[in-house]
Amino acid sequence: MTTSESSLAHRQIFHHEEHVMGTVVTMDLFNEGAPPRWMLTPIIKEAIDVLHAADAMFSTWKDTSFITRIRRGELSLDDAPVEISIVLERCRKARDISQGWFDPWAMPGGFDPTGLVKGWAAQQSLNVLERTGVSGAIVNAAGDIASFGGPQYGQRFRVGVTDPANPQRLACVVETPGAVATSGAYERGAHLIDPHSGLPVTRADSATVVGTDLSLADALATALVIAGEQALTMFSELSDYEGLVISDDGTFRMTPQFPIVK
Amino acid sequence: MNRAPIVLLFTVAVLVGVFSFHSSPVQISLGTIPVAPTTVTPPTTTSLPATTRTSAPRAATSTTLVHNPPPPPTPTTTITAAPVTTTTVPSSVRQATGGSVNYIFGILSVNVSVTKTKITKVSIAAINDGGNPRSVSIDQYAIPILEKEAVQTQNANIQSVSGASYTSAGFAQSLQSALTQLGL
Repeated sequence: MTTSESSLAHRQIFHHEEHVMGTVVTMDLFNEGAPPRWMLTPIIKEAIDVLHAADAMFSTWKDTSFITRIRRGELSLDDAPVEISIVLERCRKARDISQGWFDPWAMPGGFDPTGLVKGWAAQQSLNVLERTGVSGAIVNAAGDIASFGGPQYGQRFRVGVTDPANPQRLACVVETPGAVATSGAYERGAHLIDPHSGLPVTRADSATVVGTDLSLADALATALVIAGEQALTMFSELSDYEGLVISDDGTFRMTPQFPIVK
Repeated sequence: MNRAPIVLLFTVAVLVGVFSFHSSPVQISLGTIPVAPTTVTPPTTTSLPATTRTSAPRAATSTTLVHNPPPPPTPTTTITAAPVTTTTVPSSVRQATGGSVNYIFGILSVNVSVTKTKITKVSIAAINDGGNPRSVSIDQYAIPILEKEAVQTQNANIQSVSGASYTSAGFAQSLQSALTQLGL
């Protein structure tokens, strides 16, 4: 019996773009055949709702979000939704692992988990999509990627990493174990603040972290672009996560197991 | 300074989406992906050119389900197959210009047009990036991020692209103040 390679290939059966969290989030599903719509639609809708719920809770520039009210001292954590506590716990863990280079409590203007929330929300959304039973799915939240499965049986998704010196091009391609997060000095986000000085400082042009969970990968990528290659040591104690730093002179520095393919 | 237009490009594209969303609920229509729009011949009962309809899927939220095999070209497709939402009544369009705010490269203010609660146009009302004031329209800048992504993924046998996103708090601030003026 022969099996042609093409018969193993999953087709991209679904694509969606959602404008949420101040950016664009895309969802892509891969499978051999397309499941019936009545089965897909409610799950996809729930995956989209998760993103909007996270936006409503965690947007620091929305006056009525829970996080804004907590920052203003109008709301105690006990009265906030359970998701706030979950994200807080993730933030604590990321702060410890990153040796303090990711520290939402040290941000000017008060507690700001922005560097983790986008990844966390995308990961939550992806977890919902697992219920579709498809062979592979990608949620890409403006360059931070949560995924499961792959484009074919036994293959992982390949993800291009934007070249910080020329964002129209790719610096490299990685095979993702699930999550890929990139933070860049070319990113004009308010969360690229050095927690040790409170100033907007980055010590690399871009940093990419791959791992199993996007909330942690997102936070560590933020930490890594601020700290530079000195912070690559944090991965030695952390299995399942790898880091890449691209310097302003174009030099790549990465952990030994970083899954770069070209 | 070359980055200023790029930053704005992304910000404009992104923010239009953000604010458009809030004015229109999520529509998941698992319809067919627009296949070979050039083969669609508009019936004589409509005066809209084909190009108007092919641009409709660019709206804030789009969903496509890829079918296999793709539906055969149907030259006689009726206009009802593609929703035409581009019709606007000029008299119902309201406009406001947001306050001038500092952004990373200078000072800018944003002009917004709305029909009822839906944003129909966002443009830079004024921008000063260091002695080089100019006006720009969203048409020049709002090149969808995803088109670029699609091009990149096709060229490298990859399924997605990871990179830092562009955001501009200044742009958002001015846009918000424009929307507040309109009571939105």
